[in-house]
Amino acid sequence: MGPSGSGKSTLMHILGCLDTPTSGSYLLDDEEVSVYDEDRLAEVRSRKLGFVFQQFNLLPRLTAAQNVELPLLYSRVSVDEREEIVSTMLAKVGLADRAHHRSNELSGGETQRVAIARALANDPALILADEPTGNLDSATEDELMELMDGLNEQGRTLVIVTHDDSVAKHAKRIINLKDGRLV
Amino acid sequence: MSFFALLGLSILSLRHHKSRSFLTALGIVIGVTTVIAILSLLQGLNNTIDEQFASLGTNTIYVQKMELNFGSGPGQFDFEEIAKRPDLTIEDAEAIAELPTIAEAVTTMSREVGALTHKGNEAEKCSLKGSGEGGEATASLIVERGRFINVNDQKRRRMVCVIGSYISINLFPDEDPLGQMLEVDGHKYQVVGVLAEKGAMFGRSQDNVAFIPINTYQKFYSTPEGRASIFGGSSIEVLPAEGVSVDEALLQVEELMRLRHGLHYYEDNDFGLNTQSSMFSSLNQITTIAWIVMVGIAANSLLVGGIGIMNIMLVSVAERTREIGIRKAVGARTRDILMQFLLEAVVLSLVGGAIGILAGLGIAGLVSLLTDLQATAMWWTIAIGFVFSAIVGVFFGIYPAQKASKLNPIDAIRYE
Ligand SMILES: Nc1ncnc2c1ncn2[C@@H]1O[C@H](COP(=O)(O)OP(=O)(O)O)[C@@H](O)[C@H]1O
Ligand SMILES: [Mg+2]
Repeated sequence: MGPSGSGKSTLMHILGCLDTPTSGSYLLDDEEVSVYDEDRLAEVRSRKLGFVFQQFNLLPRLTAAQNVELPLLYSRVSVDEREEIVSTMLAKVGLADRAHHRSNELSGGETQRVAIARALANDPALILADEPTGNLDSATEDELMELMDGLNEQGRTLVIVTHDDSVAKHAKRIINLKDGRLV
Repeated sequence: MSFFALLGLSILSLRHHKSRSFLTALGIVIGVTTVIAILSLLQGLNNTIDEQFASLGTNTIYVQKMELNFGSGPGQFDFEEIAKRPDLTIEDAEAIAELPTIAEAVTTMSREVGALTHKGNEAEKCSLKGSGEGGEATASLIVERGRFINVNDQKRRRMVCVIGSYISINLFPDEDPLGQMLEVDGHKYQVVGVLAEKGAMFGRSQDNVAFIPINTYQKFYSTPEGRASIFGGSSIEVLPAEGVSVDEALLQVEELMRLRHGLHYYEDNDFGLNTQSSMFSSLNQITTIAWIVMVGIAANSLLVGGIGIMNIMLVSVAERTREIGIRKAVGARTRDILMQFLLEAVVLSLVGGAIGILAGLGIAGLVSLLTDLQATAMWWTIAIGFVFSAIVGVFFGIYPAQKASKLNPIDAIRYE
């Protein structure tokens, strides 16, 4: 948690291997990430991490199913397996009936749920969500947090950025940021 | 990502921007259309030239006022000087015929005449040619019925003629032409021979010719203007004797003609010696020039087309920064992005190439339909079209694709 501009997204991007820290080190699974080359980083993003952004998460021209399939294409999963995983994940987020809708036909809550399904596709250890409820009304927010809770109960680690107490109360541990520092 | 998945992606993206993609590919379309159309037409022209020279298949040497060298361009000729050259005479031909290396030498002149008529029947668009004994051999014609013009016809300026098959069919559809009279330019000639069908050369039928004795011809048509003109003058058709090569005969004819024209050793020939092979090679020169021009036009439009593709791909990369960020966030490697954008450029230019190939073949087909030039598309003509458009796609697509693939994921994600 932290106020706007406190460095929440920056931390998130470093954790997600999208950005590198100017100084300091980041150990993921006990390995220093800064020595990894581009391909290795892509591999880590593909296998170990799942991302949910605040907005513009999905590729608008693709259907919900195709968006969920995307990480599987890059990790070279076979066609049959892909179909299986996509339908499982969409069912998990309660959107089985929306599979073939283009993502620009989905509501805000549905979009975020598709993003979660996509983040889950490669069965990553860590899911990183940067203000996932930032653009949702409170009813939809509750639904989404319920879904996140369920994932957490199934043993998955979620890191969620928010400046909203109602979201924060779902977390088992809260880290506060201010001016780029932990407080 | 697999190749086919990437291919699917690029097609999807191009289809999303249909009109933009089409306009971008237009440069390639025009370039490839030009290449294919001109290649097919040139190939057709080459085939026609080959066939027709083969069908002539003679060793005939043409002594004329000027060297026919199509390839050298109009600047090469001094027409004033050529116009002053002496006419080629019947006596010249007789002298050439005396040479031991020569089988036949005949003075000929020809002109287009409106129509030949016989009792209300007409044969239009014919030519009238003055010739002499042996003229059928020098022009490699076969007399099917009757005889060709002989020395007596010449000497006595007889009003006789030998007609091509087209004239025979049109004037005498259901009579025996031999012995019949036909009328040209107000003069009446008796038919003494009919030629076998010869077919067309460069789209002109060779069966609509009527031969009359050269002396008769000169009596009616040899005006002072006719003599002075370059193209309307007479020429001598010379056929080398059996076993004598064209080159050997050429040398002898040249020597004799220089002697007859009283030329000093330092003076150039004031006549031209043309052979099938010299005309053939100068025609080939024309097609070679056309080739070079074509390569220039094609290279130009492919370059313009390629730059168009590069431009649009750069715009596309900028527009899709966010997409690239998301793809990288979910595990796309540098080369996945590179291949995605490169394939998009290549598919774009290949589609342009395919349309260009079809359009080019269409134009070539249309030309074949409307003119006598038979365009021929070889398999490699089409291959060239595809290879060139693929090369253009890769060459001009690689830079935008690299730019896309090197985007820092964080910049791409933050981009809004
Ligand atoms: N630890 C830090 N040290 C220096 N600058 C930082 C640090 N964390 C964030 N920043 C800068 O602060 C700005 C806002 O950060 P951001 O992560 O977008 O904040 P938030 O997501 O909390 O609104 C960015 O320009 C970022 O570079
Ligand atoms: Mg932020």
